[in-house]
Amino acid sequence: MLDSPHYPPLDLQKTLAKNRLISLWRLMAGFRLIYLLAISCLALAVASKTLTYMLLRYFVDDMLSQHHLTVPFYVIALGFVGLAIIEGGFTFLSGRFAARSSEGIILRLRDYLFDHLQHLPIAYYDQIKTGDLVQRCSSDVDALRRFFAEEAIGVGRITLLFTVNFIALLNLNVKLSLFTVMFIPLVIFISIFFFRKINLAYEDHQNQEGILSATLQENLSGVRVVKAFSRQPFEMAKFEQENWQQYLKGRRLVKMHAMYWPTVEFTCLFQYLLSIFMGATMAMNGEITIGTYMAFVGLAIWIIFPIQNLGRLIVQLSTGLVSYQRVAEIIKENREVVAHDDLALSNDNLLLPATNGHHYNGIYTNGHSSSSVTNPTLLQGEVIFDNVSLAYGMDAVALHHISFMVKPGQKVALLGPTGSGKSSLVNLLPRFYDYTHGQIWLDGKPLKQYALPELRQQIGFVEQEPFLFSRTIRENITYGVNYKVSDAEVEQAAQAAAIHDVIMSFPEGYSTLVGERGVTLSGGQKQRIAIARVLLKSPRILIFDDAVSAVDTETEQLIHAALERLQRGRTTFIIAHRIQTVMQADQIMVLDKGRIVQRGNHAELVQQPGIYQQIYQLQAQLTNE
Amino acid sequence: MSGFSLLISHLSLPTMTNNYFEEEEFTTQFNGKVLKRIFDQTKPYRKNLYTFMALIATVAMLDATFTYINKLIIDEGIMVGNRERVLQLVTLYGSLLFVHISCIFGFIYLAANLGEQIQYDLRRQTFNHLQGLSLSYFDRTPIGWIMSRVTSDSVKISELVTWGLIDTTWAVMNLTTAITFMLIINWKLALIVALILPVLIGIAFYFKQKILAEFRQVRKLNSKVTGSYNENITGVRVVKALTREGQNLGEFDELATTMYQSGYRAAWLAALFLPSVQIVGAMALGSIVWYGGWQVQMGSMTVGGLQAFITYLTFMLFPIQDLARVYAQMQNSVASAERIFSLLDAQAEITDRPNAVPAATFQGEIEFDQVEFYYKKEKSVLTDFSLKVTPGQTIALVGPTGGGKSTIVNLVSRFYEPKHGVIRFDGMDYTQLTLASIQSQIAMVLQTPHLFSGTIRENIRYGKLDATDEEIEAAAKVAHAHEFIIELEHGYNEEVGEGGNLLSTGQKQLISVARAVLANPRILILDEATSSVDTLTEALLQQGLDALLEGRTSFVIAHRLSTIKRADRILVIANGHIAEMGNHTELMESKGHYYSLYTNQFRN
Repeated sequence: MLDSPHYPPLDLQKTLAKNRLISLWRLMAGFRLIYLLAISCLALAVASKTLTYMLLRYFVDDMLSQHHLTVPFYVIALGFVGLAIIEGGFTFLSGRFAARSSEGIILRLRDYLFDHLQHLPIAYYDQIKTGDLVQRCSSDVDALRRFFAEEAIGVGRITLLFTVNFIALLNLNVKLSLFTVMFIPLVIFISIFFFRKINLAYEDHQNQEGILSATLQENLSGVRVVKAFSRQPFEMAKFEQENWQQYLKGRRLVKMHAMYWPTVEFTCLFQYLLSIFMGATMAMNGEITIGTYMAFVGLAIWIIFPIQNLGRLIVQLSTGLVSYQRVAEIIKENREVVAHDDLALSNDNLLLPATNGHHYNGIYTNGHSSSSVTNPTLLQGEVIFDNVSLAYGMDAVALHHISFMVKPGQKVALLGPTGSGKSSLVNLLPRFYDYTHGQIWLDGKPLKQYALPELRQQIGFVEQEPFLFSRTIRENITYGVNYKVSDAEVEQAAQAAAIHDVIMSFPEGYSTLVGERGVTLSGGQKQRIAIARVLLKSPRILIFDDAVSAVDTETEQLIHAALERLQRGRTTFIIAHRIQTVMQADQIMVLDKGRIVQRGNHAELVQQPGIYQQIYQLQAQLTNE
Repeated sequence: MSGFSLLISHLSLPTMTNNYFEEEEFTTQFNGKVLKRIFDQTKPYRKNLYTFMALIATVAMLDATFTYINKLIIDEGIMVGNRERVLQLVTLYGSLLFVHISCIFGFIYLAANLGEQIQYDLRRQTFNHLQGLSLSYFDRTPIGWIMSRVTSDSVKISELVTWGLIDTTWAVMNLTTAITFMLIINWKLALIVALILPVLIGIAFYFKQKILAEFRQVRKLNSKVTGSYNENITGVRVVKALTREGQNLGEFDELATTMYQSGYRAAWLAALFLPSVQIVGAMALGSIVWYGGWQVQMGSMTVGGLQAFITYLTFMLFPIQDLARVYAQMQNSVASAERIFSLLDAQAEITDRPNAVPAATFQGEIEFDQVEFYYKKEKSVLTDFSLKVTPGQTIALVGPTGGGKSTIVNLVSRFYEPKHGVIRFDGMDYTQLTLASIQSQIAMVLQTPHLFSGTIRENIRYGKLDATDEEIEAAAKVAHAHEFIIELEHGYNEEVGEGGNLLSTGQKQLISVARAVLANPRILILDEATSSVDTLTEALLQQGLDALLEGRTSFVIAHRLSTIKRADRILVIANGHIAEMGNHTELMESKGHYYSLYTNQFRN
């Protein structure tokens, strides 16, 4: 957790409650006092406004009375200005306090979400859509900010305006004041009724906007396909259809607004008019003074018209709650277990799985196992899979009873059709997923006993489609190390990955930005930067998940040379399609449907009938044809 | 009363898509030409425009009139005890009320519909214009930029011509009517107000500018924050694998804190706006009470008149606020308009020549005659490139990245045209033919295949829109996509997801091969079409491709030499030239570049 000077720390997972309002209340911890201040200032500002009308009443009655003036005009005038300054001052303070607390609450939420997401397990990311998640973190969080900063305050303001002014009216004349609020419930009813509908229509409209953007985006990213098939008219028709839908939905929204505003405006003005008539009659009957009448005419506006917006605010508050719900769903997710304490506690008398674990006992290369979750010293790189199974969810079993052993520094190749479980297998090592059955031993210690950061620091993973960040090339290469790296070291890593020359060919060299605002790198170039990144990290265990199948021959040779340098002395797992990539491996395992169906070295496997031989022959045939 | 501005904010919340992209700089000076062009967009709907402006003007005048009626009720009714007059005035007020709400209904309906209409028109225009632009435009313009133009700038423009106009008209008419009534009531007091009005407007404009600049800053930061989330979520595996969590959080907090500070500043600046305008207004009120009270005592002004002045002054804030907001937002809208018009003004670099004729069905002879091409003038990609391909030949292009292979196929498909020299199809300069007639006879399969969201069937059908289901299946069988498709839960009706994301790259490649098969083109281009297909499938697909290539002129780019060795002619392209040319056997014998590539790949 981070130490920020702008907010007190808070574990947001503990703020979750069944009732969303309670959760929001807890979310405000540390900012409640300042929020209360905001509301209090608001109340004072409203009260000053009311006092202005009371002053007006006094002024008019005093002026019209037959006696001489009790207070000179300039004092009254100064009174008006003074009250305005008080009102303005408190309005400003209220806004400032509200901003302080809402922005603070949201900063804490943003930081928390960012950190929380980094610590959610990979399995979580498999089932979410990036766009949706990003939207929750941006739009929904912003909706929540508006909830605290604008909508809640807005409702507070309207409530205060109504209450304070109504009390003032009651003081002036009870009968008149009750008469003035006669239609208020109706206004509230109409506005909530309409805005619920308007909001639904609005969401519908927004969804269509999303569809329209998606259509546009696909058209733009598929521009070559569109042109290659001359499908411009087809695309135009497709866009036209969504655009027209959008137009129709927009019109529906328009219709509702066009119904709502005149209706509510009429009700309010009609109420106001009736009140004026009533007030005038009473003034003429001598029940109230002229001053009272004039104060009343002014106050009534501030009671009746703000109510118009109450419905809108209440509906927006409720959508704010929906946004909160969407954010809370992220917070609710549990983070990765850094180290399994239960295992750590029972470490001294670890029981190997009774069925077939024992025969591994004699082959620990480093003999002993450390007794708690500690920083491992440099790993040797001995890996043992002991009857390991992995199931995603309830019934999708990805790996069945996998057992094998890798000596430190050995190179293991994995081969097999798509979906055979190769990736699942290597994903277990950095604990991207936790195996559901069996045990993985790393240097003689169960994998789950290693603390995550320490474990991952010693594993280098090169993915099929390497991900680079929109930063400079240098920053991308040093992304994995948390100490200052000299330029010489960076260049050395780049040279070893056979990418240095390419980098130097860019005008800005290592400071070149990667991504949309920088250079577009080819797949092979990205791949080599990713390798340099791993090289610099100098891990003990290396994993290549189909890292070279999509690059051209020459690049591939460069990458292979880089890999060989990288692999020396490190335990290596390599996933590949092509025989010549895997044939040098110490062990080759062929996977199919989550099981190891063949294992051995190249010489052994080409002799065995099976998938390996089949692939070998096909590739040889393509070569020799 | 001034609910209209609030209404706008509800109609026009920013859409999610444009959060991803940074806000652009905007021009500070008003560009009359751009404004005129914006209003030209409303030309077909001018009647609507004038009607709703007349309606909102009526509403504004009535708003000010109601206050005057209140004055009359006090002066001519209550003060003199004339009940009949009160009843008369209340009846007048009531009947004007009906006019008032009818006008409100009318202008909201007309203006908001016009807004939707303009938005619809602009989006259609931009989208359709985009379809005609050349590939070079898309190469140099990020998709995000174009997206923002079509989705959000169109909204901003439609808002300017509707709500911008409404707020301005209302504000101006309301102020004018109010001042007129004030002059009628007491011209000396009205002069005091008239003097203070420019000050009020000045302060309001100044503040709105500052506030808007601050909010723009917040939006910029917001898109950065969103970008951070996006990147950390997409790159989560790397973040975890490299244990960067701590440092990333630190960096993010720095950014989020900057946004916090900026957001806080913007919020309190906004909170300062109303009070400061109000206080200046209150000073005017004070002088009116002082001077007016004295005048009432002297008998030169009525109590009702005083009441009217106070009301006018109190509510003068709203039109001024509206004016300041529209003024501040107009700069944004003009900038939006400049950008959207720049898109609409972009010329397609490759268009049909005036005398272009549709091509007949190609025999398939293609000739490059001393072709020169470059993307940037300093850096020539092809120089003096000549090549003749006879109908039905398969040409394989081999060579290093950046050597010019993709440029050659881009020229064949006329995504680009030669800068010098001629390309002839069946002996005819292809610039004399219409684009559509050429491109409808060419099909491409690309390394990064692009699918559209929808079902697999719809995606294959993209190659031939009127294809029957049987034809689609037949094409899928040729491409060996059929096998995996029927394994899927919904078979051909399986949704492929946005951009085809639910399928693997290999599967997407097979589907795009099927799409090309269905298109039955005369000229076929395979650009790394099978790089991500596994070995077993690739062997099967090869047979399908052989059948497809038969009888068609085709260009094949591949890294796997095994897939191209059966080409009729192999061209090794390096530095924009043909370094070697011949068939596999010939090139192997000449022991040149191809030979070393080939032996390297299969060194074992």
